[in-house]
Amino acid sequence: MGDGTWSGMRGIATTPSYVVMQPTTLCNLNCSYCYLPFRGSDRRMPVSVARAVAGAVRPWARSGRFSVVWHGGEPLASGREHLLALLAEFDDDVEHHVQTNATLIDDAWCEMFRGRQIRVSVSVDGPAARNADRIGRGGRPAYDRIVRGIEALRRHDIPFSALCVVSRPAPGLAAELYAYFLDLGCDVLGINVEEQEGVNTRDNRHPAADVSGFWSEMVAAWRRDPRIHLREIEWTLRYAEAVLDGTADRVLPRELDPIPTVAYDGSVVLLSPELAGFSDKRYGDFVSGNVLHTPLADILDGAVTRTPWIGEFLDGVEACRARCPYFGFCGGGHAANRYFERGRFDVTETEHCRNSKIRLLEGVLDHVRDHQQPTAV
Amino acid sequence: MSETTSSPRLSDRMENARRGLTALIAEAGVARARRDEVAAVKDQRAGDGGTAVCAWNHFENIPTFYNWNNRPR
Repeated sequence: MGDGTWSGMRGIATTPSYVVMQPTTLCNLNCSYCYLPFRGSDRRMPVSVARAVAGAVRPWARSGRFSVVWHGGEPLASGREHLLALLAEFDDDVEHHVQTNATLIDDAWCEMFRGRQIRVSVSVDGPAARNADRIGRGGRPAYDRIVRGIEALRRHDIPFSALCVVSRPAPGLAAELYAYFLDLGCDVLGINVEEQEGVNTRDNRHPAADVSGFWSEMVAAWRRDPRIHLREIEWTLRYAEAVLDGTADRVLPRELDPIPTVAYDGSVVLLSPELAGFSDKRYGDFVSGNVLHTPLADILDGAVTRTPWIGEFLDGVEACRARCPYFGFCGGGHAANRYFERGRFDVTETEHCRNSKIRLLEGVLDHVRDHQQPTAV
Repeated sequence: MSETTSSPRLSDRMENARRGLTALIAEAGVARARRDEVAAVKDQRAGDGGTAVCAWNHFENIPTFYNWNNRPR
């Protein structure tokens, strides 16, 4: 497979593999890098919204694995009773996941996670000193509360994933972080290099060597004790294996997953949840419909023609396909990164592309080059 | 300045790293098996919830925030 002739990611699928649901806009934390605009107010999702989504996803869940990701705000800030009422609308074959800051997790939440088979992913950025951006509304560090929640998960033997935001990737940090997450006991780890999006306008430009050095060191640390499913490394090696096998063009999905985000009020934003709650003179509110008025399947069917920014985004994907040698690995820059970094959707390379895709792959290649054994003679 | 115009071609550079990549890929395969990720898929299908681990052979429907392409953060 040569560079530039990739066949995947053409258009948007009309059947998603999961939906993101916002049970409340509220978050009990006020992290410095958060992109969410309404996290200080408690706008709760009514049960009618969950009922509408549950009806829409029923046929999708029956024909294959289907997930609902409860996001926020902080989904646990909606309260157990309210979240249970929302969950009750869904059939049993739908998988449920929460992405949580962990600060509210206690024994009662753990019993609910286990009873409802809810998969849990926590947000924590490493040891206490690395969590300076994760603060409460009064500005106090949230780390102790995060750890208490994770200890509750461990006490109840509930497996969990972790997401770690890295604001300044550089060599020296990766080994420290990986050791921390080994000790934390997560099954899965995703590293999110901080992105400039939403209300977070912090600069996310970094020296290329720092970022590739970070990833290279992460590979070395993981390789010494690969107990954790490390998202970035798994994906990179999956791609590398396909390149070496001559099957690289099969790695990307045939179509983009629409990833509907259903906001608290039933409004639906596709592709990038980070766009929810924003508006722009040129693009409007980015919303493709509302599940209280239009079935989700119909919203997805008509999204490309009725939501102008999505057509522009698809032009951007094609531009990436035509120009970027990393397209087969990446599948095109994400919508929110294009918009929040560069103000349009039909642009190509973003800082997020560089930090989380290009320099990741280059970091893995650097690691391999530095550790490649000489050929035996 | 764009980082996507480097030469030689990315695929050629990956091919040149074949020996090292192959070793790393093999180690990842062993690690995956030790993590029982294949078993986790079976568990999920059997309905007992499995673990938090993402199913290795289930890429396009990886739960939570582990979908790689156009994933949410």
